[in-house]
Amino acid sequence: MRQERVHVVAGNAFAASDAQGDMEPDPRAPVGLFSFDTRFVSRWVLTIDGERLRALSRDDLSYFETRFFLVPGPVDRYVDADVSVIRHRSIDDSFNERITVLNHAADPADLVVRMDIGADFADTAEIRSPQHRRTSATASSADGVLRLRYERDRFSREAIISSTAPGHVDEGGITYRVTVPANGQWITDLHVGMTVRGEGGRDLRSSLETHRQRVGRDMREDLREWRGRAPHLAAERESLSDVYQGALTDLAALRYTPLSYPGQVPVGGLPWAMALYGRDAIVTCLQTLPFTPELTPTTLRVLALAQGGRLDDERDEEPGKILGELRYGESAGFGDQPTALYYGAADTTPLFVVLLDEYERWSGDAALVRELRHPARMALDWIDAYGDPTGEGYLRYQRRNLSKGLVNQGWKNSPDAIVHRDGREPGFPRATCELQGYAYDAKLRGARLAREFWDDPAYAQRLEREAAALKERFDRDFWLPGRGYYALALEPDGTRVETLTSNIGHLLWSGIVPEERSADLAGHLLSPQLFTGWGVRTLAEGQLPYNPVGAHVGAVWPSDNSLVAAGLRRYHHDEEAARVAAGVLAVAELLGGPVPEVIAGYPREVTKYPVQLPIAGRPQSWASGALLMLLGTILGLRPCGDNLLVSPAVPEGFGRIELLDVPGRWGHADAYGRDRSDGSRGRRSRLR
Amino acid sequence: MAMSAAEFLERLSPRRRPELPETTAGTLRLDLHDGGCTEHWYLTLHDQCLDVARSADDADLVVRADREVFDRLVAGRTHVVAALMRNELTVQGDIRLLLALRRIFPGPPDARHPRDVAGRGAARR
Repeated sequence: MRQERVHVVAGNAFAASDAQGDMEPDPRAPVGLFSFDTRFVSRWVLTIDGERLRALSRDDLSYFETRFFLVPGPVDRYVDADVSVIRHRSIDDSFNERITVLNHAADPADLVVRMDIGADFADTAEIRSPQHRRTSATASSADGVLRLRYERDRFSREAIISSTAPGHVDEGGITYRVTVPANGQWITDLHVGMTVRGEGGRDLRSSLETHRQRVGRDMREDLREWRGRAPHLAAERESLSDVYQGALTDLAALRYTPLSYPGQVPVGGLPWAMALYGRDAIVTCLQTLPFTPELTPTTLRVLALAQGGRLDDERDEEPGKILGELRYGESAGFGDQPTALYYGAADTTPLFVVLLDEYERWSGDAALVRELRHPARMALDWIDAYGDPTGEGYLRYQRRNLSKGLVNQGWKNSPDAIVHRDGREPGFPRATCELQGYAYDAKLRGARLAREFWDDPAYAQRLEREAAALKERFDRDFWLPGRGYYALALEPDGTRVETLTSNIGHLLWSGIVPEERSADLAGHLLSPQLFTGWGVRTLAEGQLPYNPVGAHVGAVWPSDNSLVAAGLRRYHHDEEAARVAAGVLAVAELLGGPVPEVIAGYPREVTKYPVQLPIAGRPQSWASGALLMLLGTILGLRPCGDNLLVSPAVPEGFGRIELLDVPGRWGHADAYGRDRSDGSRGRRSRLR
Repeated sequence: MAMSAAEFLERLSPRRRPELPETTAGTLRLDLHDGGCTEHWYLTLHDQCLDVARSADDADLVVRADREVFDRLVAGRTHVVAALMRNELTVQGDIRLLLALRRIFPGPPDARHPRDVAGRGAARR
């Protein structure tokens, strides 16, 4: 049986335990206390008189706080317990656990309470096979502190465990010999500080001005304010409100403050991607602009700071390229993995420009567009100078780091994702279709920014000419007349990869598709080959590589579908967009809790219930963000000058939806929509 | 023989550097440790230009490392961010300036342009 995992999360710090609150290494999943891609505590096991505890119930108070209610003894032996235990844990920059031992008997109880504590300082990159590290443990009984430390050259990570109740500290944990009064309780607060050593042996973060500004903020207050700033949803369909609140909370949990900037950016998500990924962060921002726009300026600034500045094969870096991944672990620092800064992503650079333009349309923040002119211009230059290695006018990718670089550098980045219908592998450099859509969109949006904010009309004209030429060239070279859709990719010799995939939906989102072709694409996207009833598959059934449980060759991703649905609406295929939105929202409603990043591609009428995949992370920023974007899509939210345009196309059975106080350049505006079930299609917007 | 960090810094010309954002400005002090002594280099970043001086004055960002680490940085054999993660190099102050500094140092000498890699035919790699 698969062990249940319980997480508390705060940005890139998280603790994962079993249902009893204990943490022990598991090669299948990151279990333990993690921060900055390092496992600071790998063993954290509570016993009473030498016995493990079992769970009665649990109260997940919020994403950063959980309470476990436990009694001693194994599961198969139930006796009315005289003793019970509450573990109340929370996480912010440090990890805290309050242990309360309750004695329900009429006599005092003498107990030995023991917390086993150990650390392996594994890097998140090596959870599946942790290396052995020579760590040191220093137990100081005088002040009741246990220090666990790992050092490699000058690299140092330290966990400092302290306790409020006096106990005997040894190198493997803390023991308390206590007498709990009759009908009384005993309490200790355990605190785990995690330090990443920098200048002069101090924590790296404490010497960074930017990081110091936020430490010690109250998490509950922060979550309350986060929710308060987001629009209020009132929906006839109650489950939709739950989905909405859940998605907002997931996004709150996955914000973290990078070392370089005083603001918050989204991490990828639990459990494998608790770091900054350029793609996930940009897509999450695009999805959430009408709801939580505050994520975007910081994300853009941080990505601009980390923008590629030179050629570096190890990191697949080129000047102007936007980051793929930023990690802080040991393997990143020592070059065992290139991920301290890794640029193996061909889509992040055009999407950076798309996000900057889209953000301005919503927020009216012209100052940010001027501030980021240089990085945006470098990103636009990158598309042609480095992104087009064959000089034929297509954005392509081919890794230069042959041992550790990513084979596929679009969002479908698993090694088998880009494949011919018959299973053959295309050659490199590969030009996948959605990259051309992103490049087209980036050029048009760059042109608008150049004309309106950068005072550079000549450059704007050039970009518009290039975009028009790309659109024409793309339609000529990628369109498959016999099949009625666009090729997934072009090989370097121009051979078309004719596989039918969800990528064609991204083309609608980017606007590179001529109007007269869009109905064909919509037909394919909603065909039984691609549409499962829960969403659009990554790759259509009926082709050799299809596998319903293959991440990028058959499974269904909410993030992918959120862009597809937006694309369908862009081309006025409202009913199709509503069907996709309804499918994905139903997944979230049925599963409850954070929506997984991917589900299996089985047909809805066969499984009736969404089939989850063990590889799927949850929560994931761009999966939770997808739910918000789908909501925005069915309401038809769009900035138009200084107004919020609302044009609902609400799926059947959703009833009335009100989204109040949508933030933007208009201040706050309300949006209303209802499905067509009673014949009247509500359409009204008002400004406040 | 590769150029040392001191030689590299001495030869930094005051030309305009289009690779630096025009909105980034500030002062950086590089402290090169060598045994018991420390050499201070003072960089002022403004309007896409970099002025180089020798001074131990306070700066917006102070970067400290052994001379040997700086030598590797200017030879393109070490990445600034990886060195920071290894704690070989420490910083104090506005880390945003470090990322600007990253652009001044050259990349690995054997790095290739994507075009040169693609030029080798339809490689299946």
